[in-house]
Amino acid sequence: MAAKTSVRRRTDLRFPGKHDRARITSRYGNDRKGADAAVKLIHTADWQLGMKAAHVGGAAPRVREERLAAARRVVAAAREQGAELIVIAGDTFEDNGVERALVQKAADVLGSSPVPVFVIPGNHDPLTPGSVWEHPAWKTMEHVHVLREQKPIDVPGGTLYPCPVKDKRSRKDPTAWITPAAGDAIRIGLAHGTVEGVQQPEPDHPIARDAAGRAGLDYLALGHWHSTSVYPAADGAVRMAYCGTHEATGFGERDSGNILMVEIAGHGAAPMVTPLRTGGLTWKVFEKDLRQPGDLAGVRQVIELHQDADTTLVELRVRGLLAAAERDELERIREILASRFPFHRVDSSGLRPSPADSGWLAGLPPGLLQGLAARLQELSDPGYAGNRPQGGSPEAASRALMELYTMITEASR
Amino acid sequence: MILRSIRVSGWRCFADAVAVGPFKEDLNVIHAPNATGKSTLFEAMIRALLDAHRVGGREVEALRPWGRQLTPTVTVEFAHGGHEYRITKRFLDSPSSRLERQEGGRFVSLAEAGKADDTVRAMLSRNAPGRGLSRPENWGLAQVLWITQGALALAALSGDLVSDIRSSLGQQVAEPSASPIEHKVEEAYLRIFTPGGKLRSGREAPPVAQLGEKLEAARAERAVALARQRAYEEASRRVEELRAARAQARYDAEAIGEVLKGTRDRAELFQKLTSDRNRGEESLKAEEARYADLKRRMEDIAASRTEMAEVAGSIREIETDLPLHERELRQRDREAEEARSSLEDARRDRPKVDAARELAEQARLFAENARALDALEDTLRKVAAALEALDQRKRERGELVAPDDSTLNAIRKAVKKRDEAQILIESSLIALEVVSEKHGRLIIVTGEQPGEVELSPGIPARVTGSPEVVADLPGLARLRASGPAGSVGEHRAARAEADRELQRLTRPFATSDLESLEGLIEKRRALDKSIGDAENQVETWLSGRTLDVIQRQHSELQAIRANIIQDHPDWQKTPPDPPALKAAADAASQAFVGRVEKAESDWDGAQKALDAARKSAGQLGSRAEAARTMTRSLETRLAELTADGKSDEQRAVELKGIALSWDAAKAKLEETDRKLSEFKDNPVDTADRLQRQLQGAEEAASQARDAEKTEEGKLMTLGAEGTYSLLAVLEEKVAALESEVAAEELRAGAIRLLRDTLVDCRARAVAAVAGPVESVATQMIQRIAGGRLGRLHLGDSFEPAAVVPESSGEGVSLEAVSGGEREQIYLATRLALAEVLARDERQMVVLDDVMTFTDAGRMARVMAILEEEARRLQIVVLTCHPERYRGLTGAAFLDLDALVHNARP
Repeated sequence: MAAKTSVRRRTDLRFPGKHDRARITSRYGNDRKGADAAVKLIHTADWQLGMKAAHVGGAAPRVREERLAAARRVVAAAREQGAELIVIAGDTFEDNGVERALVQKAADVLGSSPVPVFVIPGNHDPLTPGSVWEHPAWKTMEHVHVLREQKPIDVPGGTLYPCPVKDKRSRKDPTAWITPAAGDAIRIGLAHGTVEGVQQPEPDHPIARDAAGRAGLDYLALGHWHSTSVYPAADGAVRMAYCGTHEATGFGERDSGNILMVEIAGHGAAPMVTPLRTGGLTWKVFEKDLRQPGDLAGVRQVIELHQDADTTLVELRVRGLLAAAERDELERIREILASRFPFHRVDSSGLRPSPADSGWLAGLPPGLLQGLAARLQELSDPGYAGNRPQGGSPEAASRALMELYTMITEASR
Repeated sequence: MILRSIRVSGWRCFADAVAVGPFKEDLNVIHAPNATGKSTLFEAMIRALLDAHRVGGREVEALRPWGRQLTPTVTVEFAHGGHEYRITKRFLDSPSSRLERQEGGRFVSLAEAGKADDTVRAMLSRNAPGRGLSRPENWGLAQVLWITQGALALAALSGDLVSDIRSSLGQQVAEPSASPIEHKVEEAYLRIFTPGGKLRSGREAPPVAQLGEKLEAARAERAVALARQRAYEEASRRVEELRAARAQARYDAEAIGEVLKGTRDRAELFQKLTSDRNRGEESLKAEEARYADLKRRMEDIAASRTEMAEVAGSIREIETDLPLHERELRQRDREAEEARSSLEDARRDRPKVDAARELAEQARLFAENARALDALEDTLRKVAAALEALDQRKRERGELVAPDDSTLNAIRKAVKKRDEAQILIESSLIALEVVSEKHGRLIIVTGEQPGEVELSPGIPARVTGSPEVVADLPGLARLRASGPAGSVGEHRAARAEADRELQRLTRPFATSDLESLEGLIEKRRALDKSIGDAENQVETWLSGRTLDVIQRQHSELQAIRANIIQDHPDWQKTPPDPPALKAAADAASQAFVGRVEKAESDWDGAQKALDAARKSAGQLGSRAEAARTMTRSLETRLAELTADGKSDEQRAVELKGIALSWDAAKAKLEETDRKLSEFKDNPVDTADRLQRQLQGAEEAASQARDAEKTEEGKLMTLGAEGTYSLLAVLEEKVAALESEVAAEELRAGAIRLLRDTLVDCRARAVAAVAGPVESVATQMIQRIAGGRLGRLHLGDSFEPAAVVPESSGEGVSLEAVSGGEREQIYLATRLALAEVLARDERQMVVLDDVMTFTDAGRMARVMAILEEEARRLQIVVLTCHPERYRGLTGAAFLDLDALVHNARP
């Protein structure tokens, strides 16, 4: 599949304050149009290049490749949007142990950026001995800056305060070293951690909820969490935001596959934050509770009509009652999924033979087969309280009944 | 199908044609000795009914009689399905097969060749044999009905027969359409599992197994990749630690360096002060020494003078005491001399005392010797008397001639013999006793002592003789007495012999009187006893010694006595009084000892006093000499001490000066000590220690650097591997395989459940079907063997599987049952199955030499059952023991041996 080369704005994401590029309200303290912003940057993070995708079976290489393609789309977005710099807030790589060729590829992608790129290590790729950041490729890209120290640096349009991560785990606020300073320069923070308030077992690079205000930052670009999220300040200005991962990483991931375009008119002005879609793959979950004949056919139709099947990973969850006659329908669905989608998984563990389906059982000649089918149907009922033989789980019994049905059907042809 | 007749020729032992039949529809017993051909006949029937006529091979070649080139031919007439048939087959040479059916009272051809084979076989079995002769699994119904020799045990029947049995039972275990489904299920199951229920492996492994193997391999690979990733992480941590260690070591070294610098400065000052202190101590010691030296000199001078004066005083005292001591010495010397003289005088009496003692001793010896001598002489006298007595007795004994006991016994016997002979003689003699009333004469004419005997009134006169006694009383009568003629002569001879013997024995003793002889013996005994007593007496006086010894002792004592008398001749007449002499000697000795002891004591005291005086005088002299020597020594010392030529005042002034110098040195030293005490430690040692620490820290930093480089190398190597990426790929692979395996396991589990449930359902159905057969077979067994074995349990294919005794309620394998009962079980099962198979048509049951382990009692019950079964079955028994079956009522007995013989031309 060809990688997408253009990104689109996420109109489905609505932030508090609802920023539109064409309308910059005075509520955020800046009447200048975005085109005149003092700094325009692309905020991205959590590329997780080289990530493991065991949950998608044979599609894992495709998933990994898409992440690199999405990285190219980030660079393309910077070019298209006229950004002045790109900041990557950590976790560019899934692990410091990724293959070195991938590091070179990532460096090449960033090296193709028309604008400077500022990267901080995250908790997945911390600045530890042997890390990806020691690869010689980083030394060859003059405009790609791997920020290794807590030291402000000048960037186009302002000053950047990087908070590189040096440990996989930490209880320290990485932004604690940033102190307010006098001057008119736009102050941009770049950090990787968890904003207070997010539920987690123990503190993990905690970042104060008011870190941007406390540190006197105009914008704090965050990384670590994969869903796009913003943290408005008391005045409603969005000065802290997670851009989320540039390419979704799994089923059920909310609002991922984005980058943020951040425009700041000046020091103290409310940033204008615009999400841009860079994700190439869609992780689609189809769920259906089968209650009556034909429900499964409906599922099939939905699947058949799904657009962009070649870039959609599908998880189908069907529960409920399955008539024996519909078993073929289920197989048909599997065939469609297998043929059209790069990955599919069908969870039919919740399916049970339909009680109304006992008609085919009654249609069996009395004797061994009928007795056999009746026994299997009995065992397929999760509520059966009698003696279950070893291996006689309801799921196995349902499957056995289906196998019997298939054999009988084939024999009758 | 039942058998009518069978005819064979050219078939093993049946070289000539032999026809057996017609068979009864119920009971038939074909009997013959071993090797007649009973089983061969049975075999021929099987070949005729079940084998193709064109079958070849060595087994078929073996049908020919040995050494002959005959063509095995068999003809079997049988009834089936209401028709009578005849099948004739030739094997090997021009093989042929012809089936005829009886129509209108005669047999007409129905089929030939292969068709004939198939038609007949189909009446029994649907399962045609492959190549070669048919096997029991091809026999169809006959598997149950025909029991060859040694094959009574009933194994699992072929599937078709089991179906036939089931269908015969009129119950459907499975509908016709079920069988294909059962096959499918079984096929699906066997594609995944072995018949034993294990997952297939190897080339035939199902996907779940193959995937399982792949999964295991992938997991192993993943474990390796995970280990590499961990190694990478560990190497990174290690490098970090080493860097931190190196940095720390560097910091430590710098810190130590700073401290070391300051410490060195302090150490320099410390060393200078220490040097000053050492010098100060030396000065102080020197002044102290000078002071002490001069002071000592002054003291020594004073002491020497004082001592000299004291010594001079001592010398004067000694010179004053010395004459006194000399005078005492002379006095003591005189006294000692006097005491010595007294002692010598006292000692001069010793010889007298010794002589008195000697005299007393000799007197004692003399007295003792005399006593001993008297005793010995007395002993000698007694011994001599005893010896004399002994000699006397011995002489008497020597003179006495007496018989010994044996001779006396012989004499007694001879006397007895004589007396007995005499008695016999007297008893043999005729005795005539005449007692006259007046005086007369008796003339003994014949008798022992012829002659005249004077008669006195009242005095009997006895006349004896033999064989008669004749005596005359003159003028009165002749008396004649006769008696039985006895052996007087013999008795007389015996008496004469006894007399001679007696005389011989008693001749030495001069008497033959027994009493006298006994007296002699008594006397002899008395003499012997008195000799023994005399000898004892001698021994007693000798007391274990010999006479020579006593005499020698006597001689010695006499010699001692003579010696003493030589010294004291007067003792010979007047023996001394030893006690008195001893007392006198003791008194003299005591007096002597007293005098000597006193004199010795006096002398000893005088000598001690003399020694003390000498010692005292000597000591005084020595003291005087020592004092003079001391005086000279002191003078010499004083001269040495005053050799410096200074006066006492000069020395005193000098001493004061030295004291002042000393004080000054002390003060200076104290100042230096005070400065040194300000140092809390020894900075020199501290600097050395710090230097060593610095070296250690630099070394640690160097080692950490080296280790860091090494670990960085490892880290780079591991990093270049892309361990995480490799791990990610493998984990994806494992996840994919696990998903596949789970799906396959679900499928395999479902197939297993399907099959197991099918088996269970079928078992229940079969159990319902096999029940009737089990029931009939159980009844038969209990009739034969009693209720001990309980109920029979059949397997799926109607083979006997176990018995369930009532006592235990648990199945017991047939292996645990005796051989006889086992064959009864098999027979009962076959007959129960045969009942089922014969429901529509009478069937033939063949029993070839079965029930070999069954005893006669149970055999009778078996035959009762056979009789009952013969109502439904045609039973043909082949046996070499026809007598066992004579109990069968109505059975036809066919003597095969007779038939064979009759068949021979």
